[in-house]
Amino acid sequence: MSDMLFKASHLKKSFGETEVLKDITVEVAQGEVVSILGPSGSGKSTFLRCATLLETMDGGSLEYEGKYAVRDEGGKAVYASGDELRKIRQSFGLVFQNFNLFPHYTALKNIMLSPVLTQKRNEEEVRKEAMVLLEKVGLSDKADAYPGQLSGGQKQRVAIARALAMNPKIIFFDEPTSALDPELTAGILRVLKDLAKEKMTMVIVTHEIQFAHDISDRVVFMADGNIIEQGRPQDVIDHPANQRTRDFLNLLTE
Amino acid sequence: MGNKRKKANRLLCLFLAALLAVGFIQQLPSGKGGSTVTAKAEAKESGDTFTVGFDASFPPYGYQDENGEYVGFDLDLAQEVCDRNGWKLVKQPIDWDSKDMELNSGNIDCIWNGFTMNGRENDYTWSTPYVDNSQVVVVPEDSDIQSLSDLEGKIVIVQNDSSALAAFTGDDATEENKELADSFKDLQQVADYNTAFMNMDSGMAEAVCMDIGVAQYQLAQRQGKYRMLDEQVSSEQYGIGFKKGNYELRDQVQKTLNEMEEDGTFDQIAEKWGLTDSVCLADTMTMDFADEKAASSADASSDSTASGAAIAAKGNSGSFGQRCLSICGQLGKGLLATLAIFFLTLLFSLPLGLLVTFVRRSRFKVLQWIARIFISILRGTPLMLQLLVVFYGPAILFGATLSYKWRFIAVIIGFSINYAAYFAEIFRSGIDNVPAGQTEAAQVLGLSRGQTFRHIIFPQMVKRVMPPVTNEVITLVKDTSLAYAIAYTEMFTIAQRIVARDANLMPLFVAGLFYYIFNALVAAVMARLEKKLSYFE
Repeated sequence: MSDMLFKASHLKKSFGETEVLKDITVEVAQGEVVSILGPSGSGKSTFLRCATLLETMDGGSLEYEGKYAVRDEGGKAVYASGDELRKIRQSFGLVFQNFNLFPHYTALKNIMLSPVLTQKRNEEEVRKEAMVLLEKVGLSDKADAYPGQLSGGQKQRVAIARALAMNPKIIFFDEPTSALDPELTAGILRVLKDLAKEKMTMVIVTHEIQFAHDISDRVVFMADGNIIEQGRPQDVIDHPANQRTRDFLNLLTE
Repeated sequence: MGNKRKKANRLLCLFLAALLAVGFIQQLPSGKGGSTVTAKAEAKESGDTFTVGFDASFPPYGYQDENGEYVGFDLDLAQEVCDRNGWKLVKQPIDWDSKDMELNSGNIDCIWNGFTMNGRENDYTWSTPYVDNSQVVVVPEDSDIQSLSDLEGKIVIVQNDSSALAAFTGDDATEENKELADSFKDLQQVADYNTAFMNMDSGMAEAVCMDIGVAQYQLAQRQGKYRMLDEQVSSEQYGIGFKKGNYELRDQVQKTLNEMEEDGTFDQIAEKWGLTDSVCLADTMTMDFADEKAASSADASSDSTASGAAIAAKGNSGSFGQRCLSICGQLGKGLLATLAIFFLTLLFSLPLGLLVTFVRRSRFKVLQWIARIFISILRGTPLMLQLLVVFYGPAILFGATLSYKWRFIAVIIGFSINYAAYFAEIFRSGIDNVPAGQTEAAQVLGLSRGQTFRHIIFPQMVKRVMPPVTNEVITLVKDTSLAYAIAYTEMFTIAQRIVARDANLMPLFVAGLFYYIFNALVAAVMARLEKKLSYFE
């Protein structure tokens, strides 16, 4: 169990009267690529926000590399101290659906900002690394461009480079292509495939069924705040056991 | 957080004190009879300062000349008194409506400014009368008004809180004068005589009632366009008003004045200012003091002759261009004060506004409400009132003795906290308009709250608030003129004094031009800043 990089157990979350996450348990091993599928409103994004500490969960526990970020104490979610959380945040990265680049910094500065500020690393060294990352996502000529001068696909690639610059153990992707035109989507998916080849641990919330099928080691299907079905993509996507999964997949492939 | 809270508390204390002060000011005796404030024995010694409060728009008694110097008959007398006693004279221009607060708070030692005793006998500790003055009526040359009874059904103007007003409506006004006032179509009050004459020129009023000395000065200035009625409304006397109970200082000044009368110096000074026929110290120097034996009003034989004419002639000399240049030079001195208010207010109010924004956005409900109340009161009450509270508050609430620099400090404090309230709300909306995703991205990247604000939120907020901040800054340029409320001498105050002295409106337009140019510069600078910030979306 302890070789699990990420572990969320019995995660619960309500907004007012609405139970958005009822009982979610997900484990991710080192080097694993997990896709989360499901209709909108199923709780996928909320799960990702709880996992990345942007949203506070009501119950359950959360572990990164065997360290508790959130402990379950008698059904209540108890958060670790601010210092511990700050350390734990270094373990993961998050790529947003709408990028959330900092508009007042160049692409390069967006990538460099946190390693210099929070990891107190040498600026020159970080700059070299950032340039390598930009090259990796195919944007070495856009280092000095401001986000406003980039296309959506380019912005998302900078955002991915920004997450990578922190050297995270695991990266979460929240529908990374749904704000993009189809022709731009392909570029992002290629970057993700490259990362998967490098054995980067990733959790991807997506609607790209074919992509999820190709890239994932495991697919998790969520609906109404519960995990309905999970397993190898060949099983869950090609031969879904659950009626809801079938309905959803039919809807998408029609 | 603790530090922020402490600062917020201190602000609140300051503000509550200000509120209390407002209450106190309302409780102050307005007018005569009610004053119970007693000063402690305050005799002066050689080397002490002697601060004379005067309305700097009251020639020939006290006004500001072309060189920006405060001059006048009363100030010359005060200088002579100080020289003889080894005191250092401080000439402190005051707002006439605030004279009691200035005196009671100890900002000034006396009011020496063509100050009418009649009707105020019990409100101050007085010198004996030294000028015999009367209230007269001035009408346009071609008016058909010949006597007081012709004023029936007419609109008559007096200055706020003036002797003329008291003569018509005061508690001690004679029945005749009250009836006369009732017969007017309206008795209007204006802030200064220049406005009064403007009203008459434009036909909005038919007559102005004022002190005879002032009338003579104004008639000389306005060269034959007006005349004075032979019949007088009342006769009255001028004295030096000290804080009630301050007999020691009064006696010191009176003794010196009497010496000046005996050796002829007093009459020389009177002659210099063309007031020879108005002075009466020779007759009154041995009289009982007014406040000890109320109203010893000798029947004034105010056969007045041209008094202010001599100095009046100087004001309007020179060509138009020369006068413009001269006015610019005089206003230039006030411009420095205006610039000081402007830049110091920005220097303090911008960071203070940011601090208030922090408190307003604090996680603690109590702090949020403190900031809300602070903002609400400062935006909801006139800046002029806030300036008065800051200036007089400490003296009235705590009996604090404040240095003469306090006037300037109070202006800066008043402006800074007022503008901080506006900036706080602008900053708050600027911060709220930065998308939540920015904070979330920063949080996931591990930035602390402080780093997030400094590196992510603040730069984006600055860009967003530029247009509304520009508006406030431009308003501030014009608001600096409000400093006159506590008689701080800045450009507009000086313009008004020149208007009073020269009986000519041009200084106001020149001042307006100065403000316009200043604001054009401000707008240009702000536009450049905005352009600089347009490198990102």
